[in-house]
Amino acid sequence: MESIIQFAPYTGWVYPNETVFEWSVLIAVYPYLTGLVAGAFTVSSLYQVFGFERLKPVAHMALLTSLSFMFFVPVPLLMHLGHPERAFNSTITPHLSSAMAMFGFFASFYVALLLLEGWFAYRPFIVQQAQARTGLLGRFYRLLTLGSYDVSERAMGYDKKWIFALAVIGIPAAHGLHGYVGFMYGSLKSREWWSSDLMPVIFLFSAIISGVSLLSVLYVVSCKLRKIPVDLACLKGLAYTIWSFIMVALVLEALEFANIVYKGREGVDMIMQYVTGPLLWPYFILQFAVGAITPLLWLSYMIWRGTTGRALVVGVTVCACLVLFSVFMMRWNVVIGGQEISKTGKGLLSYKLHLFGKEGGLVAALLTMAPLGLLYILTRLFPPWTDHVTDAPT
Amino acid sequence: MNKDDSKPTLTARRAFLGKLGGAATCAGAAVGVAALGVIPAIAAKPEGAPAGAAASGASFPTKDYDWSKHQWGFGVDATKCIGCLRCVEACKKENSVPQNAHQFRTWVERYVHIEGDPEVHIDSQQDPVNIAASGSEKEFRFANRYKDAKVEKAFFVPKLCNQCSHPACVQVCPTGATFRTEDGVVLIDSTYCIGCRYCVQACPYGARYFDEDRGVADKCNWCYHRVTKGLNPACVEVCPVGARVFGDQKDKQSPISLFIRNNRVQVLRPETGNAPNVFYVGIDKEVN
Amino acid sequence: MPKHIFRLVSLILGLIVVAVIAKPFLTVDSFYRFGHYRANAVPEIAAKAPVLQTARYCRDCHTERHALWSAGSHKSVTCEICHGAAQGHTDKNKLPIPKDSLKLCTLCHEAMTGRPSTQPQIQLPKHNPGQQCIVCHNPHSPKIVANAIKVTGDAAAGKKRAEDCAGCHGAEGNSPNDTWPNLAGQSAAYLARILGAYKSGDQKNEIMSPLASDLSPADVQNLAAYFASVPCKPTPPAVKPVGNGAAGKVLAENCIACHGESGLGANPAWPKLAAQKPGYLVNVLKAFKAGLRKDPMMAGVARGLSDTNMADLAAYYAAQSCQPTK
Repeated sequence: MESIIQFAPYTGWVYPNETVFEWSVLIAVYPYLTGLVAGAFTVSSLYQVFGFERLKPVAHMALLTSLSFMFFVPVPLLMHLGHPERAFNSTITPHLSSAMAMFGFFASFYVALLLLEGWFAYRPFIVQQAQARTGLLGRFYRLLTLGSYDVSERAMGYDKKWIFALAVIGIPAAHGLHGYVGFMYGSLKSREWWSSDLMPVIFLFSAIISGVSLLSVLYVVSCKLRKIPVDLACLKGLAYTIWSFIMVALVLEALEFANIVYKGREGVDMIMQYVTGPLLWPYFILQFAVGAITPLLWLSYMIWRGTTGRALVVGVTVCACLVLFSVFMMRWNVVIGGQEISKTGKGLLSYKLHLFGKEGGLVAALLTMAPLGLLYILTRLFPPWTDHVTDAPT
Repeated sequence: MNKDDSKPTLTARRAFLGKLGGAATCAGAAVGVAALGVIPAIAAKPEGAPAGAAASGASFPTKDYDWSKHQWGFGVDATKCIGCLRCVEACKKENSVPQNAHQFRTWVERYVHIEGDPEVHIDSQQDPVNIAASGSEKEFRFANRYKDAKVEKAFFVPKLCNQCSHPACVQVCPTGATFRTEDGVVLIDSTYCIGCRYCVQACPYGARYFDEDRGVADKCNWCYHRVTKGLNPACVEVCPVGARVFGDQKDKQSPISLFIRNNRVQVLRPETGNAPNVFYVGIDKEVN
Repeated sequence: MPKHIFRLVSLILGLIVVAVIAKPFLTVDSFYRFGHYRANAVPEIAAKAPVLQTARYCRDCHTERHALWSAGSHKSVTCEICHGAAQGHTDKNKLPIPKDSLKLCTLCHEAMTGRPSTQPQIQLPKHNPGQQCIVCHNPHSPKIVANAIKVTGDAAAGKKRAEDCAGCHGAEGNSPNDTWPNLAGQSAAYLARILGAYKSGDQKNEIMSPLASDLSPADVQNLAAYFASVPCKPTPPAVKPVGNGAAGKVLAENCIACHGESGLGANPAWPKLAAQKPGYLVNVLKAFKAGLRKDPMMAGVARGLSDTNMADLAAYYAAQSCQPTK
């Protein structure tokens, strides 16, 4: 049975049990997905709660994006588990001291919240479709109405309050959801690269920029596909959001790294050797220089020069793509990178990404792309476009 | 707000009471959820201190062995270890540990200081040179690689699960598949483990591994199936030089009680706060 | 409250109630009994049958072997280390006897960096390289104890008594033929032991046994003292030895540890072989191989020797000088 397990090569001294990488690329994909969820929801909240009117064109798409990616979050986890059929053990008998168990509840709560908010936001559309459509689709919409076709002023008033309340609760829920993921790493004392109080916050802010970037890209792409002009005010609003949160994310990550170096705890020599060696490219070059500093400078330039029109669209889209890449690298560098530094503090291992296999690169890529498919279906069932016949309530 | 309604009407009062009743029902349901679902879970102490064994009267876990009467401890005398690795092989046989050189319940590390070299040389059973010396991944032997070197100091250190009093692995398990027993052993319920490997990540000592074939996490459990029958763990049984010591800390004359009393003992990584229960004599500054 | 809100809230509450009611049904039995785990897991784990059985288990059938082992220097080396786990071992299902003792014993006894000096260790290239350990060492009681018997006999009295021995062993212990051994200059402790063995019946020989039974213990001591004191003057063999002395020299390297360089004797407990009669040496080796002469170490040695080997060794030792080069 030795062929099933891949033993990682290593240098220096590592514990004998460490030569198997327990958390693979899938465990880097899942915080990436939850991050996109939290970030997309942030855009929706900016509109619903903080009244950023200029983001109205993407508000509902943000909800649908959040929902489609949230649906796929459990998949990499289930594929990784040794016994996925027992996955509900952590729901039925959750160990309350375990961040992973509590994360399950946070995630379930958040899914429910997303479903509710989406339902309220789309109620008038659902009611209209239930009355207009026939067949299976008609039955689908009629089921969703819960038997009530009330779209009176009074009813809409209630809906508006619910949407607001859900959006307000949703902010800590979404951020708690992704913060918990960061906490799962930051709370472990076994690995110096993970153990950090800042980890939940870093994960959170990088999640926000990834979600907003995703939404920017999706918005531009959807406009191109639907052959309508891009709302530049909306796009600029998204760009501002990315720009400000990149700065916060960069400050936090720099702070965390500075902390490790400055405190100089046992194992810091190995960390320094690691970041200036195997991690030089993925960390300093790809994650920071290419993925964060470059978009920051470019966005700063565009904001300073008041770029608009096609240049703005191209600039923001490219920056958004770079940020998406950077945030994935960040997840990779934390999850895989953390395991590459031995618990002994005296050795390094190297992770080999296989293309095929249950936890290989191909599966990881598919899992990242699949939510887009679901999103497409959802945009057909619940069109988020504000320039449509649908009167999406504010 | 409608300024005409300066005095509450009957309908308005009824509507308000209805809302109040609705709110009370919601609150009651929420409290009910808490009471039925959450409180028993919180009340169950995460480190497995039983309230019921004595109350029920029956001996637990077996009729011949009562866990409330023992508190197991383990000692390692690294000054005696000869690095023969019979303990590693015995453990693999006793506990059906995967037959390879990368997954262990117990292992032995070798520390060698070479003259003129500031870095200590550490190796163990997963080192390819040692695998080559034994001939296969199923047999274990240290290669005599330093016989021609100017060695200043060298020694062997056996390692195994420390069965911590405040185990990080138990804390992070999402299902409750791993837990600490009353007699001081951290066990894994392999029918309940979902195989998430969070515990493997959380252990600072690298004592845990994931058994790919069974899809669950695994680790040394001081041969609990032997200990509850009055036997020693397999590794203690086969050690020819007495480098491994085991016993009941409740018995003042047991080997481990004497070991702790008669020696200056230390534990690995005390700064983690895990409070390990394997006590070492004769390890050195770079052993962690 | 609008209808749809009411229905939504009822739906949510309904789901919560279902979940709360379902939880105890879905929770596995015995969970939460002692803590946050399935209590029945503990007896399940405790019930597993041990694989290693310990030496006490072996004692029931292998009593004699166990007694030898527990009195020897390997008493801390449990049986199952070398023979494998005894679970399921019966008369029909035998445990393996290790074939490659060199590989097995050196796991503990190869001189290695880091091994405490209290551990008996050998430098492999210098300690009978390539030879199996069990040739000399009984794995159940491996320490080679050279119990040299103290000889305090009177050589003069022994000389008187030795007059009866000259018929076979020659005047002053220098044998006239190839079959009966030289006794002159032989180790006193060895002579005392072997005579004592003939006398007690531990060692049987159709000629020596009746002769030795006539000896008193004092006689044994005196004879041993006498022959040891006589200088050796061996007569060359009547017939040229058949064996190849050069080949024998190579083989004899494995004998040096006990019998000394060129058979001059390293330890008084064991006999000197230098200039000994080749015919006698061959007969003795054959006797060891056949089990007629009893010595656990020599039995192992002789098992590995072919007739040609024996002849070669005999030829080599016969040609050696019994005078130590001082």
